[in-house]
Amino acid sequence: MERGSNYPNGADASAAAVPVKTTLSIVQERFKADETVHLIFEAYQIKGQEHIEGLLALVSSASGGTYAIISFSVLRTPLTASNDLKINKVFPINASFKLTTDSKASKTEQQFDLCTDDDRPTKYYYYSMRTDPLAVDFNEFCAKVNTCKKTMWDAELPSEAALNFRWLDDYREIGEVKHELKKRESEYIIYKDVIVYCATWNVNNKPCWDNKNTLRPWLASGKRAPDIYAIGLQELENTARAMLNGNQMQMFATQWVRKMLENLHDDMEYEELQSVRLSGIMLTIFVRKNLRQHIVRCRVNSVARGVFNTLGNKGGVAVSFQLNEASMCFVNSHLAAHMGNVAERNEDYKAIDDYMRFEENGPQVRTINDHDHIFWLGDLNYRIQEPNGQQRPGPMSDAQTFELMLQYDQLRTEMSYERCFKGYTEGEIKFAPTYKYDVGTDTYDTGEKQRAPAYCDRVLWKGKLIEQLEYNGVMEIRESDHKPVYAIFRVKIKTRDDDKYRKVLAEVLKAVDKRENDSQPQITTDRLNIEFGVVRFNEPAIRDFNVSNDCPQQVDFKFKVKDSHNDICEKWLHVDPRADSLMIDSARSIRVRALIDANSVTGLLKMICTAVDKCVLDILILHVRSGRDIFITVTGEYQPSCFGLSMETLCRTERPIGEYTLDEVKQLMLDVTPVYRVPMPREYFLLIDYLHNQRGQLFQSYDRRQPLSSQFNAVRDWLDSWSNDPFPGTPQTAAEALLLLLDLPEQALLEPFVDDLLASRSKADAERYIDLLSDPKRNVFKHLCLFLCEGVERGDYDANNVATIFGRILLRSSKCNVTIDYHSRCNEFMQRFIRIENPDTVSGGNGHGGASLQT
Amino acid sequence: MARHFDHMFKLLIIGDSGVGKSSLLIRFSDDTFSGSYITTIGVDFKIRTVEINGLRVKLQIWDTAGQERFRTITSTYYRGTHGVIIVYDVTNGDSFANVRRWLEEIQNNCDVVNKVLVGNKNDDPDRKVVITEDAQRFARQMDIELFETSAKDNINVEDMFLSITRQVLDHKLRTASDEQQKDRIIIKQNKNKGKSNKCCS
Repeated sequence: MERGSNYPNGADASAAAVPVKTTLSIVQERFKADETVHLIFEAYQIKGQEHIEGLLALVSSASGGTYAIISFSVLRTPLTASNDLKINKVFPINASFKLTTDSKASKTEQQFDLCTDDDRPTKYYYYSMRTDPLAVDFNEFCAKVNTCKKTMWDAELPSEAALNFRWLDDYREIGEVKHELKKRESEYIIYKDVIVYCATWNVNNKPCWDNKNTLRPWLASGKRAPDIYAIGLQELENTARAMLNGNQMQMFATQWVRKMLENLHDDMEYEELQSVRLSGIMLTIFVRKNLRQHIVRCRVNSVARGVFNTLGNKGGVAVSFQLNEASMCFVNSHLAAHMGNVAERNEDYKAIDDYMRFEENGPQVRTINDHDHIFWLGDLNYRIQEPNGQQRPGPMSDAQTFELMLQYDQLRTEMSYERCFKGYTEGEIKFAPTYKYDVGTDTYDTGEKQRAPAYCDRVLWKGKLIEQLEYNGVMEIRESDHKPVYAIFRVKIKTRDDDKYRKVLAEVLKAVDKRENDSQPQITTDRLNIEFGVVRFNEPAIRDFNVSNDCPQQVDFKFKVKDSHNDICEKWLHVDPRADSLMIDSARSIRVRALIDANSVTGLLKMICTAVDKCVLDILILHVRSGRDIFITVTGEYQPSCFGLSMETLCRTERPIGEYTLDEVKQLMLDVTPVYRVPMPREYFLLIDYLHNQRGQLFQSYDRRQPLSSQFNAVRDWLDSWSNDPFPGTPQTAAEALLLLLDLPEQALLEPFVDDLLASRSKADAERYIDLLSDPKRNVFKHLCLFLCEGVERGDYDANNVATIFGRILLRSSKCNVTIDYHSRCNEFMQRFIRIENPDTVSGGNGHGGASLQT
Repeated sequence: MARHFDHMFKLLIIGDSGVGKSSLLIRFSDDTFSGSYITTIGVDFKIRTVEINGLRVKLQIWDTAGQERFRTITSTYYRGTHGVIIVYDVTNGDSFANVRRWLEEIQNNCDVVNKVLVGNKNDDPDRKVVITEDAQRFARQMDIELFETSAKDNINVEDMFLSITRQVLDHKLRTASDEQQKDRIIIKQNKNKGKSNKCCS
């Protein structure tokens, strides 16, 4: 935070909170107590055609000591609660951070890019007018962001590693639940005391089996049995020998671990959590057996120093893990030796501190300083540099001697200048220097070099809630030229109260879910029922309805394709548009067109026969992307007409079809008894009768898909009312109507025997099948043939042409087994019936049709 | 990218119109209840994440229109459903009688599905017509768990949703382990095959 504290206008802005919630204070609510929102800038993004309102917040973290820009989208305006803000991107202001003003900016649309890490730049736009009085303008925004970047980067920075952006993890997209949980940590966090026993010893290349004596004075001090042991050894074995035989080295290490385990506190059972070794530097963590299950994410690493910084005769090893909710790190290091090498020792420390990394999930890494509780022990090798000619003022007590010597302790001096171990603490030293002794004695170096006594072996700590209980050297262990050192700590470990945590988690999940539910895209329709009223054959009707978007985001909608008919709606409906996007606060109308025509009437009649509710023409499914489906019911009452009804149905009517209700027609359609009121439908009779009296080529072509002539509807009414009025249309309209009447019923006139009839070789052959048709069909057929035959005879109709047109209609087959010569065979069949070769054959039948044609 | 959940399940709420399907869902997702009745004309969904045995399960719960005329359309929403909640109204005998039809509907539209039977509006003994014993007998006969709930008074709603979720989760874990077992058997068989082939050659 030191780096950020000189930031202009830092906390002032947030401190200016007034009773009414300002946007700034709402934004601040999204952050933790040690994070400060310095400014907000209104910016929007453009996705597709839509403007997404947003806010950029410049935030700093006291724990991370760094700045970042958090980009929010605003779900609701005006902003009333922090829930209305959704984090969409996080930009740490690190070395790669860039704010680029776009030169393409126009007067109306001003844009800039934010870019960080390896991501592609994100484009933002802003209005020249601010809506929130507390928001800053663009120049101010740029200036502040740049100042802040400068403050952070112009300060003497060792390396990027020193910048901590981990606090941002809580705000990245995946961390919404994590972030909420973190914010409410105080509700479920309790602190549990854990005894941590740190020990270090430079064993001077002595294998442990040389050491018959107990290690208990060093490892089992203190009243309470520790929970965690971190034991660091240095000079485990001569480096040169070790390099020659790695297996042997490992064996020494294993022996040491076993020996140490045997000498731990008696009151408790321990197990080895992890050992890590770099050449002769080894760190072993033992934990209380039933503590093991609470430890996760255990990682180790080492940083080699010494010869060429790679050999590892000097350097550090470390173990990192998480105990309950607290992260712990233990480092054992052996730094550069010799009185004069203070700078080298500092270098070694910095290198270990900088390069020690522990893998996290994914691309993330932890550094030493990312832990809650850090313990650094080892042979740090700092010496006592007494000024030349220093005189002892007479006889002194041990304590006085130590105090005097410590005044000249290089480590304390260097730490006071912050040249190493910044942020670390060391307890009071009340023991004799641990180096250098004649092996097997408590006597300082009497050898050739006469090295001055020094406190080479130390234990330091960093982090909150650590209390040192003991710190001591062990004189009675004499196997090495160093004396072992131990330190005991009471650490308050952040721990989750599971019951409380579950409760908070449930609430957090609920809140996050609620946010997701609330931001579900929604549209409203002004109608759920589209009512067409009476719908008549061949008369289009149009209804419009509105859909509107009143949720705070763009909404895409479409009508869903229904499995049943592979389209969004039935054939008799047309919907426009089928899909669209709605901007915030916008609406549009949707047009539904109903047309029951030649192409759809059969389907409709079929549906009416089976449907529960005959008036439901269709149900449309209006689907909102990532949202709900709305059912829109289209209703209308079809006015029955003769078009599309079967000849049998028409023969059951006792009054004009136009006078029947839909229900009555439905009953007629469902009736299958072969009881008919008339031999052939009156509608056919009326049309043929009219056409019979017209001259000229009336049947030239037929295509069901062609629009019908303008007089068609008048003809429809004339037929449906059995009108006595003169025919209301042209002969062509009558011809058109006749063809439709024949073509529309679901079953073609000759369909029951299509295959047999096409296979028949003579008229007599075919007539055997014709006789098997239902009365209405047979009569219509005979009457029609007679009529066509006369027309051909008169020279009005071209036999070939008429045979082609009618053949295809009458012999239409739903079976689809159309052969190559289907059309020619249809034609051939029809020609047999409409060419006068032997008039008796046709008129000689028992049909009323033939007789009535002359009326 | 890390997910917020370990499992995601789709649940479907069905039953006659007016039995309180939407109310149950809103009680579960938002912990609210509105006395005013708005018919669901369509299909709505809400999400809610719950923790079961330490596993985070995200539920996507679909609330369907109960009206008869939408029956054909709503049946298309059964696809991909892990669990179905069949709701009747304890104050409405017809809605209970229709449960059979809803069960048929499930049978026709889903393969294997976990079910729970829910008698909602169980908050006014005077108006209750479907007595618990009858419903319980029917549920046992159909091999479904019965819950009597009140979305209004928040009775049993959470338990009911958690029960169906647990059922779905158990089912999934069971089938997953079955499949693993199957894999293991196949591997074994292959090994045996390899051996026997060697013997033959």
